[in-house]
Amino acid sequence: MMRTLAFVLGGAGAAGLAAVLAFGGSPSAAQQQATPAADSATAPAIIDTGSLKGPRQPIFFRHDIHAGQFKIQCQYCHYSVAVSTEPGIPSMQTCMGCHLVVSGSDSSAKTEIKKVRDAWNAKQPVEWVRVHFLARHAHFPHQRHIKALGPSACTTCHGEVARMPQVFKANNINNMGFCITCHLERKVSRDCSVCHY
Amino acid sequence: MSDVSPESGMDRRKFLTVLGASGGGALALSGCSTSRVEKLVPYLVQSEDQIPGVATWYASTCTECAAGCGVHVRTREGRAVKLEGNPEHPVNRGKLCSRGQASLQGLYNPGRVKAPMARGADGRLAEITWDDAIARLAGKLTAAGGKVAVLSGAGRGTFSELLADWTSALGGRLDRWEPFDHEPLRAANRQVFGLDQLPAHDFAGAKYILSFGADFLETWLSPTENQRGFAEAHGFAGGDVAKFVHVGPRRDLTGLNADEWMAVRPGTEAAVALAIANVVAAARGAPAALAGALGNYTPAMAAQETGIPAERIERIAREFAAARPSLAVAGGVGAQHAGATELCAAVNLLNYVAGNVGRTVRFGADLAAGDGFRGLTQLGTAMDDGQVAVLLVHEANPVYALPKAAGFAARLKKVPFKVAISPFLDETAALCDLLLPPHHALERWDDAAPRAGVRSLMQPVMEPVFDTRAAGDILLATAKKAGGALAKFSATTWEAHLRGRWQALAAERKEADADAFWRAALQRGGVFDEPPAPVEVSLAPTAAQVSYTRPAFEGNGAYVFAAYPHAMLHDGRGANKPWLLEVADPVTKITWNSWVEVGPEAARALNVRNGEILRLTSPHGSLEAPAYIHPGLHPDVVAMPLGFGHTEYGAFAQGRGVNALDLLGAPAGEFVAYLSTRVAVEKTGGYRKLASIEGTPRQLGRGIAEAIPLAAARQGLTVAEAYLEEGHGEHEVNTPLEVAALKGWSEKQFQMTRKGDYRRDLPQWGMAIDLARCTGCQACVTACYAENNIPTVGEYDILKGREMTWIRIERYWEGSEAPDAPPSARFVPMLCQHCANAPCEPVCPVYAAYHTADGLNGQVYNRCVGTRYCANNCPYKVRYFNWYKYNEIAWPEPLQLQLNPDVTVRARGVMEKCTFCIQRIRGAQNTARLEDRPIRDGEFTTACAQACPSDAIVFGNIADPDSRVVAIKQNPRGYRVLEDLNTRSAITYLAKVLHPVEG
Amino acid sequence: MAVVARPLPDRAPELEITQTQADVTRDVVGTLGRASTGYLLLLGGAVGLFLVGLLTFLILVKDGLGHAGYNPPIFWAVFITTFVFWIGIGHAGTLISAILFLFRSPWRTAVYRSTEAMTVFAVMTAALFPIIHIGRQWVFYWLLPYPNQRWLWPNFKSPLLWDVFAISTYFTVSSVFLVFGLIPDVAAVRDKVTGWRRTVYTLASVGWQGTDNQWRHYTRAYLYLAALATPLVLSVHSVVSWDFAVSIVPAWHGTIFAPYFVAGAIYSGLGMVLTLIIPLRRALGIEQMITKYHFDNLAKLTLLTGSILFYSYSMEYFVAWYSGNTFEQTTFFRRPFGSMWWAGWTMIICNAFVSQLLWFRKIRTNLTALFVISIFINIGMWFERFVIIVSSLSNDYIPWAWSDMNPTWADWGILAGSFGWFGMWFLLFAKSFPIVAIQEIKEMIPMPRKRGGGGHH
Repeated sequence: MMRTLAFVLGGAGAAGLAAVLAFGGSPSAAQQQATPAADSATAPAIIDTGSLKGPRQPIFFRHDIHAGQFKIQCQYCHYSVAVSTEPGIPSMQTCMGCHLVVSGSDSSAKTEIKKVRDAWNAKQPVEWVRVHFLARHAHFPHQRHIKALGPSACTTCHGEVARMPQVFKANNINNMGFCITCHLERKVSRDCSVCHY
Repeated sequence: MSDVSPESGMDRRKFLTVLGASGGGALALSGCSTSRVEKLVPYLVQSEDQIPGVATWYASTCTECAAGCGVHVRTREGRAVKLEGNPEHPVNRGKLCSRGQASLQGLYNPGRVKAPMARGADGRLAEITWDDAIARLAGKLTAAGGKVAVLSGAGRGTFSELLADWTSALGGRLDRWEPFDHEPLRAANRQVFGLDQLPAHDFAGAKYILSFGADFLETWLSPTENQRGFAEAHGFAGGDVAKFVHVGPRRDLTGLNADEWMAVRPGTEAAVALAIANVVAAARGAPAALAGALGNYTPAMAAQETGIPAERIERIAREFAAARPSLAVAGGVGAQHAGATELCAAVNLLNYVAGNVGRTVRFGADLAAGDGFRGLTQLGTAMDDGQVAVLLVHEANPVYALPKAAGFAARLKKVPFKVAISPFLDETAALCDLLLPPHHALERWDDAAPRAGVRSLMQPVMEPVFDTRAAGDILLATAKKAGGALAKFSATTWEAHLRGRWQALAAERKEADADAFWRAALQRGGVFDEPPAPVEVSLAPTAAQVSYTRPAFEGNGAYVFAAYPHAMLHDGRGANKPWLLEVADPVTKITWNSWVEVGPEAARALNVRNGEILRLTSPHGSLEAPAYIHPGLHPDVVAMPLGFGHTEYGAFAQGRGVNALDLLGAPAGEFVAYLSTRVAVEKTGGYRKLASIEGTPRQLGRGIAEAIPLAAARQGLTVAEAYLEEGHGEHEVNTPLEVAALKGWSEKQFQMTRKGDYRRDLPQWGMAIDLARCTGCQACVTACYAENNIPTVGEYDILKGREMTWIRIERYWEGSEAPDAPPSARFVPMLCQHCANAPCEPVCPVYAAYHTADGLNGQVYNRCVGTRYCANNCPYKVRYFNWYKYNEIAWPEPLQLQLNPDVTVRARGVMEKCTFCIQRIRGAQNTARLEDRPIRDGEFTTACAQACPSDAIVFGNIADPDSRVVAIKQNPRGYRVLEDLNTRSAITYLAKVLHPVEG
Repeated sequence: MAVVARPLPDRAPELEITQTQADVTRDVVGTLGRASTGYLLLLGGAVGLFLVGLLTFLILVKDGLGHAGYNPPIFWAVFITTFVFWIGIGHAGTLISAILFLFRSPWRTAVYRSTEAMTVFAVMTAALFPIIHIGRQWVFYWLLPYPNQRWLWPNFKSPLLWDVFAISTYFTVSSVFLVFGLIPDVAAVRDKVTGWRRTVYTLASVGWQGTDNQWRHYTRAYLYLAALATPLVLSVHSVVSWDFAVSIVPAWHGTIFAPYFVAGAIYSGLGMVLTLIIPLRRALGIEQMITKYHFDNLAKLTLLTGSILFYSYSMEYFVAWYSGNTFEQTTFFRRPFGSMWWAGWTMIICNAFVSQLLWFRKIRTNLTALFVISIFINIGMWFERFVIIVSSLSNDYIPWAWSDMNPTWADWGILAGSFGWFGMWFLLFAKSFPIVAIQEIKEMIPMPRKRGGGGHH
């Protein structure tokens, strides 16, 4: 009973802070991050990569081109997201699947794609800089969330990646409030040991 | 294989980064450390059978002992993380002992040799390249001109065939040897049945089991298989229960499971065996020849030899004769003294006259074993005579495993060039000139033929951890290099050679499609035919030459010295694996160090207490170790476990304890007699606290490990009823009024906690543990360590009672310590009881300990602040605290690769405990949800239940009336520990079933 | 305090103060003068001890609590023992200053200031231990209820949470009580000193002029504060006792705990008062004001509480036997006869037996004897908590888990540190503020003057 009470109190108490903390990174936040070319089919050419949000990657891989312009499904590369707790990082082979033939339209693309090919030939996997990083003590089964929210679920946490030239953290996924809020809205379990074990 | 990128493959760094990508728990709970720049390193080529976050299982074979159990290896992101039994394997049927599971720590052992090494001019071992190493070996072999000797550990399969061909091609000699090679057993089989082989023993079928010292639950022949059978025969299923009598001077784990113990004088087991055989023969009408041979061995004579009353021997003999079929086995210390062959022969006759041969003793199974000690003796002579120019030692460690007096080390020095194919720098390897590290069993292709009708496969489940090669490849590469007689080995790689062998096998078996045959075998873990029908055996002419000679022991000390194989470390090969060191010895519950066992009488005579250091002096040497008073020891005997006192063999093993072999003389004859000397025992005045996990080994009538008489169990009485039956007083002293009041109160008090989520229609997880089946072997404990990333805290912290055994086996002594009525033992697995009304939950100020909706006592590590109130308030004392940063010190490189990514590694300062393997529960829920179905009963189980060789632990959903666990919980023998505390624990224990005590 | 100012026939001699008001102010303010070497040595020692404790704490934070002697099933040991010990110390102060005040007990005047200070600093010391003792000290704040994005709240069912509230409340009230009581005296000091010290005291005396009006409000407020502080003496230590009584550990799970702990707390508090005052009055040369008569009374109070303890001990054993509960019985049998018998006997002898010596007036008025006894009491009361906590935990329900423990350097380090921390504050206080209540002493000087002063109405 005390437990329930505690949560009720929590709700009341946190209401004030909620706006600041809990909703700080709700899905709505993601849209604001979208690039101007909101619904244009073609991703913009980008000269000044320095101004882009998010960490600089060894290869300037553009989700906005792959997922946005060419409408490649997330799961084409993140192959295990619907069946496993882990989304899966595409192997170099997956990249080469296309880039054996596709060598890029403009010069900037060409240089980047060359990097991929070099890496492949050198048998040296590219070391991507991790953007989304959930604390090790929280278990997030991707497949359950895809199952519950459908394949478009990705944006809920990762934001409109399909419009990000360079992926950045749309939501603070490490913020437990971010998870809890969603679980509250959808009336799904808030049992600690669902994620923490 | 996780990664088919050509050479480099998956190095350790890549493991970790991929692991990082998989977000698994294999890193410390160090808060939300997002600031760190984490790298995601993709596979070059994603292999089909590895999905990040999803475990891939490979079938393989355990190589820790000759039994050859089948294993399933669980791999995650290209790392082997757990070993479990292969349910399809006829030897172990899905179960695995502690030593088998710890094979994982052999794979990731920090003490492994990381690359080939050669002794340089400075006399030190230095790393060299493989090409260089192979060249050196090849050169020496060609130069040796046939003066080559190979010493290999036991084990039978394609590799040993190759090794044999390879050696003979060189014109050298091959000896396959490992300690405890059952030489007396085979000698006796030759003598009595004319068969030089080891039979299979059907414990399950036996109605009466008589063991002459055989530790068949620990190391004897095929322990896991034996235990499964024993639990079948000795467990209670409503009907009859086989009686088990242990004959021998010491009660080991097997002995503690006996219903009756005949504490005979050391070395006199044979007299009992013959006397019983005599009586049985009379009762059953045996062939005249035998009757004559046995005639002289009367119970009276045996009584005189053993110190056991003749009536008692007679009674047991009659009981044995009455039970059909029965089973008598000989082994352990019983079969490790000068008269061992006599004993085994006697036991053979006993089985024969009792009509067990062909029923519970099945010849034709032909269990794998080495060539025995004789070969080693001959090798020794050859080395002395300079007949050996090159000695190749493959996974054998005679320098450690033979008594110093045998002088193998000295002989080794006489060999000009010594090569060791050994994964570790053990005592023997340390003396070699060339060190070739082979693949671990989990890294290589291989097969094993542990017995007739079973040929099981090994496959690489991951890229090698270090720069090692399959032993087969080493032989083939050397052959290619050396050419000459060795040129005939055409196979390019060991894998190809093995495949070739299996193609031949397919042909023998008239398989249409060899590849399909191979694939199927690979999937199942091998080819398993129906066990061959027992071959008809008849008495050999020499059968009647049974005899008994009164044992004579070297020296004139007051006590006979018994060195026995450690249940965890076996002959010492386990001493470099922290799990086996930390998971206590099942009898004494001592960890990490040696001890000397003395009987209660001896202890009184010597005026010695636990931990006081004793000096043992034999004609061959002297050593010191702290005393442990073992109520199950004959007054004339002091006993010591083998396996300690390594001088090499890695940081974990080195300089830990003393080697009991130092007291033994040079083995003479067919085998090493581990029970051959007398020792003088004296107190040194020193004291070293025993690193024991034992607190107070008495129940003080608190009903923790309950037991009821067989008769009562048959009537279906509850424990309480059985007590009344026996004329004990009423358990509950409260008046009816009080009882009523308490009942109402306790129910109300319980309901107070059942608010909120708890009414929802969710599974409620629970467990049932049958103490009539549990033997106390501790396979469950090791499994728990493996599954839940439990740190091994080491000797210092265990001295402070800080072991982390989420599940522990408590061993309570029952009865007096009077010589005439030795105490019996009761084993009870104690783990978190997941109380529905848990004392630990309300006292936690931060809800780190709380009740989950599916009936678990949740423990949220990352919420825990470490007030430790929960542990104080836990009546079962099953909560464990991280006193130090165990997460940083318990897994030295590369041991951390064994960690289960599904389980958070607990940081310093937090409480941890059994969670009913919640990661498995959540995993099953995820799968079930994807398939839109509820979880099926038995779909998954906890690590302890999965491992238990006697199937004593059953886990399931107690909210589902059809589940197996519910069925078992309804058993009248069922009881809950400390039920009066109204904790409503989710674990029901079934009381042990006792045979009536007679005589 | 007119009530006492009226000469009482029998008590008169003790209460007669021969000095003039001027003398009193001079003497007391004199105690604030330049520090003697002895004082500096004491202070140095205290600070040293505190640093030892600090270092130990840092090591514990670095490596984990393993350095301490914890030996499961003993999950609480020296730290919680010392925590309860200091909380206990903190009780006599409020008792003497508040309760005796409400009971108009004449003799409190001379000692209440020092005991109040002792209270505040003891609670300050105790308050450190919940933090020192937990496994992850840096997340201690999770025990406080505050709204957070995790939507998590502490467990209001947990006695440890009650502790947090109890201690913070007690600390607040007792420190307010102390500071408030100081105002008139600070003002008196203010008028005597010069330079920067004057500024400091001016601020501290919040514009106190000692006008009638101020006195009226002051005395009234003081009364209310006293009334407010009094129930805390009983409530706080009851809550602390529930840390144990609420659990199911044999020998903890008893209804006797609250009164038993309160009595013990006051007993230990009085012990500490004696230990502090006996040397203090000599050091500060105020024998005139704290006389044998006061010690006699303190000793009587000690005797009373000591006897209550004696009774509680016997009652524990009786209940254990009478309950027929095997777990309770085992625990209480093993207390004096188990592996930790030494602790058990120290507790019984130092508390139950030694206090009985105070039946004799000779001993009550012999300061040396009193001092020795007070030391025994301090030791005994520390061991009482040690026994209750450690030896009860060492043998509870599952015999297999039984064990005992030996404190290590880390335990002693923290214990020493706590004394250093306490001593440091107390000594600093004694040098900066009148350790004897000037105004109230003055009131006891029999001469007609404007009536007023603490608690009169």
